[in-house]
Amino acid sequence: MVKLCGWLASAFLAAMMLLTVADVLLRAAFNRPLRGTYDLVELLLCATFFVALPAVFLRDDHIVVDSIDRYFPRAVPWLRRLAGVIALIMLALMVWQGSIAARDTWSFGDVTSDLSLPKILFWIPLLFGLAGGAVAALAVALRIRSPK
Amino acid sequence: MSITAIGVLGILALLAAIVARVPIGVALALTGFLGYAAADGWSKALKMLGSVPYDLASAYSLSVVPLFLLMGAVASRGIMAQELFDAANAIFSGFRGALANATTGACALFGGICGSSIADAATFSKVAIPEMRRHGYDASFAGGTVASAGTLAILIPPSVLTALYAIVAEQSLPKLYAAAFIPGVILAALYVVTVVVVAHARPDWVPRVAAMPLAQRLHAVRGMWKLALLFFIAVCGIYLGWFSPTEAAAVASFTAIVIAIATRSMGGRGLLDAFMETVYATATVFFIVVGAFIFSRFIVLTQFPTGVVTWVQHHHFSPLFVVLLVMLLYVSLGTFLDEVSTILITVPVTLPLITSIGYDGIWFGIFVTVMCTIGLISPPTGMTVFVIQAQNPDIPVGNIYLGTLPFLAADFVLVALLVAFPGIALWMPRVLGM
Repeated sequence: MVKLCGWLASAFLAAMMLLTVADVLLRAAFNRPLRGTYDLVELLLCATFFVALPAVFLRDDHIVVDSIDRYFPRAVPWLRRLAGVIALIMLALMVWQGSIAARDTWSFGDVTSDLSLPKILFWIPLLFGLAGGAVAALAVALRIRSPK
Repeated sequence: MSITAIGVLGILALLAAIVARVPIGVALALTGFLGYAAADGWSKALKMLGSVPYDLASAYSLSVVPLFLLMGAVASRGIMAQELFDAANAIFSGFRGALANATTGACALFGGICGSSIADAATFSKVAIPEMRRHGYDASFAGGTVASAGTLAILIPPSVLTALYAIVAEQSLPKLYAAAFIPGVILAALYVVTVVVVAHARPDWVPRVAAMPLAQRLHAVRGMWKLALLFFIAVCGIYLGWFSPTEAAAVASFTAIVIAIATRSMGGRGLLDAFMETVYATATVFFIVVGAFIFSRFIVLTQFPTGVVTWVQHHHFSPLFVVLLVMLLYVSLGTFLDEVSTILITVPVTLPLITSIGYDGIWFGIFVTVMCTIGLISPPTGMTVFVIQAQNPDIPVGNIYLGTLPFLAADFVLVALLVAFPGIALWMPRVLGM
């Protein structure tokens, strides 16, 4: 699961890089930049970040201040679980509210300014990533871990 | 409860959550959301929570972050760092402290490319520390040199931290990259001076190493062309107006991949690893950005930044005193918080304060970055020090901190210079007509 998120996100990142390089080369060589690079880079960036987000939770990559570990080592597993529950709640709220906003975008038929891409395309990886993150946070919260 | 009180409580709750081991992105989202609800009701707070992640979907300027991270991930996989260290060593060869100065020079250039101090320190911990110790350098000083020189990465352009500052502070990124160049060079030069001073004060820490023959030196210097080329594309391309920062980052990371594959220093497996490392790191940072956006919506709602500015104006504090207070804030945050979170959390409050006393947003970006280089080596959680210790378990962490002390003095010299002569940062963007 972690690797799958990583591979997908890597593919989006590679596309973002190649698209930008192609745009620069075409502009430099033929003075004909690609139309809509801006829109596509935004979409690919959005996809890269949100698709990789569940992996961050599963890999426990988050930046955490762990100064407390030295003083209350026995509290650490409980604090980890508490943090997982808080993350789950926050992400679930974001998915709930985000899907309301996404539904509005869908029904209004919003599009991007340059290529007229439907804006719902941005919401798909976004909601996938937040929901995946919520599930991953739950998994971390349930996993019983001994302090290092 | 007054709205200012809610703001202050929100900030205290944030600190409490961070200390209680809640991941920083989650802590920001939680306290920002609860604070917003307390100030403006649940329904508006929920709506805000649903809309903020989408702000990231339309943040073109953030695309420089994964692309520059990718360039660093590729560069640190090949043998570019080793070649750069050999080249820098060839340049300084013959002087007392040559290896330590080679480390500083190599970390400065490599730090420009990799943009992350932790990656910079980790790379040179493997390359430079064994070399220094083999030649009889004091282990603490060797560790301290790499831990400190690694911090140059966040200052010397193109830096990922600067890109994040540009977004929260709504400043021009090319201008910030131009502004960071001279302070970055000055800091690297100050580190070189520090090494020379230490070499004279404690010759037993820094033994003299025999000079290399000239032919060998010339050969070694040639090895740095790859990183020099990447640096030229990424930095000069932006300065000369050839590329936007995103374009520079894409072209430079593409070039790094082509070089690494063409010189056979990286295969398909390494390339995939570099991509994976980059996307995980990007998601980790961006999640903090989401949290910081939520928290700053709350902070703006409470008008806390305006409150601070009014309070300072009411008391007629001198600008220098305000700068000292801000410095104190960053030194204390630097003792426990990482540099990305520090910038994302504080800038919405400190920037209005600093501009209200007549400083410039570009200048402040450089100032705050230099303060973060100090935070990176400040006990008890100096991130680059931890990196060195993890890779060299036989050097006690306290000794590495001792080894960084002379360099910490150099950091404060740069801060003093920046405050006394803001032109150090502002001259270059002006000359480049930005």
